[in-house]
Amino acid sequence: MINIANMAKKLEGHTFLLSANDLKTGKVLFYTSNGWLPELNKAIKIEKKSIEKYEKLLKIDEENCLIVSGRFVELNDSGSIKNLRDKIRSSGLTFKI
Amino acid sequence: MIIIDKISERKNEFIELPDEKLSKKTSLENCLLNLFHWKEKKKEIHEKKIKVALKINSDEELIFGENDLRYIKMIQINFLNFKDGRPFTLAKKLRKKFLYKGEIRASGNILPDQFVFLLRCGFDTVEIKEMEKDTWLELLEFDDGLYYQP
Amino acid sequence: MYKYSEIDKKIVANRVKQFKNQVDRRLSGKLTEDEFKPLRLMNGLYLQLHAYMLRVAIPYGELSSKQLRQLAFIADKYDRGYGHFTTRQNIQFNWPKLPDVPEILEELSKVEMHAIQTSGNCIRNISADHLAGLTIEEIEDPRPWCEIIRKWSTFHPEFSFLPRKFKIAVTGCSEDRAAILVHDIGLRLIKDKGDIGFEVFVGGGQGRSPYIAKKIKNFLPKKDLLNYLEAILTTYNQLGRRDNIYKARIKILLNELGIEKFKEFVEENFKRFSNKKLILDKSTIKNIFKFFKLPSLKPGLEKVPEIKNSLFLEWKNQNVLPHKHPNYSIILVSLKSNEKPPGDASSIQMRKLADIADKYSFGEIRVTHEQNLVLPHVENSRVYEIWNELLNINLATPNIGLITDTICCPGMDYCALATARSIPISQKITDHFKNYSHQKEIGDLKIKISGCINACGHHHVGNIGILGLDRKGKEFYQITLGGSAKENASIGQIVGPSFSEKDLMGAIEKIIKVYKKNKIYEKEDFLSVFKRIGIKKFKEKLYDNN
Ligand code: SF4
Repeated sequence: MINIANMAKKLEGHTFLLSANDLKTGKVLFYTSNGWLPELNKAIKIEKKSIEKYEKLLKIDEENCLIVSGRFVELNDSGSIKNLRDKIRSSGLTFKI
Repeated sequence: MIIIDKISERKNEFIELPDEKLSKKTSLENCLLNLFHWKEKKKEIHEKKIKVALKINSDEELIFGENDLRYIKMIQINFLNFKDGRPFTLAKKLRKKFLYKGEIRASGNILPDQFVFLLRCGFDTVEIKEMEKDTWLELLEFDDGLYYQP
Repeated sequence: MYKYSEIDKKIVANRVKQFKNQVDRRLSGKLTEDEFKPLRLMNGLYLQLHAYMLRVAIPYGELSSKQLRQLAFIADKYDRGYGHFTTRQNIQFNWPKLPDVPEILEELSKVEMHAIQTSGNCIRNISADHLAGLTIEEIEDPRPWCEIIRKWSTFHPEFSFLPRKFKIAVTGCSEDRAAILVHDIGLRLIKDKGDIGFEVFVGGGQGRSPYIAKKIKNFLPKKDLLNYLEAILTTYNQLGRRDNIYKARIKILLNELGIEKFKEFVEENFKRFSNKKLILDKSTIKNIFKFFKLPSLKPGLEKVPEIKNSLFLEWKNQNVLPHKHPNYSIILVSLKSNEKPPGDASSIQMRKLADIADKYSFGEIRVTHEQNLVLPHVENSRVYEIWNELLNINLATPNIGLITDTICCPGMDYCALATARSIPISQKITDHFKNYSHQKEIGDLKIKISGCINACGHHHVGNIGILGLDRKGKEFYQITLGGSAKENASIGQIVGPSFSEKDLMGAIEKIIKVYKKNKIYEKEDFLSVFKRIGIKKFKEKLYDNN
């Protein structure tokens, strides 16, 4: 997870997903070509060079009270989520309740 | 910006001047001075018995000499961040330790949700954006005067 | 139990309205997230990894059956059918939706509950010995004092925006079950020449820089309690660091100033600001104490009958304590079965337990800081009966105080701050040691697990502490040994390099082996062995590759 406040410069890696929580439900969402959706597999892959554009988008949607806690999720070379926290965040609890 | 107390808007009787104008001014009466200027002009204020207002930031330390408060009609405490709670203690100290009777005003980064706390700690007024006035006064309606603290 | 006055009711009702207004303003964009966050936190609402989390206050851990039923109702209607009891005797719901929260608060207020100051940089819920009022050796019941402090600290106009959170715990015994020495302020009721007052400790805490609290006052007369607390808080609010979140707790201020200098400030504030209206007179104190009288207990059997059922006897041995009334017992209900995360209870369990409490324990339930529950007054003659009922809802795990009775924070499964998971670790331990006689052979041992350095799982004061770390994207666990949160409080020592998730259980096994080999008498517990032989022997075994 990389918090938006850290801005693009601090991002390592090359490809990212854009993610946030739904302001109302708190649900984890991903930015897709159809806007914010819970489906990870529909998330748009973002190249580092276009990060700034998505940063702006994130800011606008935060201001519009759609989402909260926006962040870029780093992908590894094989295109899956790199770090554990982001994995758990996208796939849910790792034990049964 | 406007000044409100717990009932409505109040006229601001103090003026805040930029440095260059301040140095040209003949009387400091009713001027809002920052800590630096106040210290600088303290002697003059005492000698001429001029009443001024003092503006300090929430992270500044306020040390008073005897009689200093006599010539300060209003103390404006400017919140650099609404999460910085030091001004609440400072206001209490002014009222209880120094028995300060003048106006205490809050300005800067403050939330309408803090209004009741401000008033209860000894603040009289707040400086806010005009468009926020209704929210500030509306939120006071949640205050029914029931508190656990005396 | 305490009952709300008209004032309490109005204050809580008002708070619900106020929070609704704040939520509305947030949803309509009048409040930014940055502005809303401290407001929602002050009302116990977090945003975690997957959802919002609402922490509900259980003042000093005391619950009525009616309240527990309402918590079950909330779990079903607004959450996913369970709740999580925390190390500060509160309960958390992990999946509420923001627009529902005002309604949840309203439901809570119907049973005299709220979420006020369960988070944020303010004075948090006051915690207490979970056996308050139940033991013979107690000097005085701490609960009425907690209630007095609860009132004073609720919406305190001066102390709602402190440098950092502030936790107070109270005990009435020399034996410390409330971990007062790792709180910002710890209060212990003591007797001095016939007078009862408080011994006051300040500046304890865990997290990044753990400290055992230092004594600031040998004997504080009861009447001065609130003025003295106010003097400490005034000092902290004014001088506590605000430049660095990791240095903002009172423990850092205290250590930067030194206890003597800090005490001077406090005494000065105490002298200058003492407010006559805050002095507690005898009748105020008496009125609060009235709420905490024992229910009317009747004569009965001197002992819990020894029914010939080995499972029952194991449980009785482990989970039943003597009550100060000779014909009653205190029952500890373990929330550490191997089926659920530690501290979790389903709505079904909550409801059934509420019924059991009505039937056997005057409708009273308590929450312990070790994330278990207590049924405080059960007739000796009915202990077997109650065991059967607890067994039916899987709440009769016989492990109180044993190795599987772990304290564990939510870790990376829920928490946005975590560096590793903690619940799966706790589950592995519970699984690995599930055999009762094996546990019994190991004896009293506290394992405490945190998913990051913030130490919500109290790892610093675990006899064995486990801290989850992130090493280049992999979960690693650092082990500390010899910590304790009791009256002999100590911070555990780091044993050496951390272990991968895979190697962790093996390491714990080895630690247990060293302990067993070095006990000199059958019942010598882990801590005592550790203190005697030191960390070296454990190190040798853990990092010996042969
Ligand atoms: S210790 Fe860390 S991971 Fe665990 S609950 Fe606290 S902040 Fe979260």
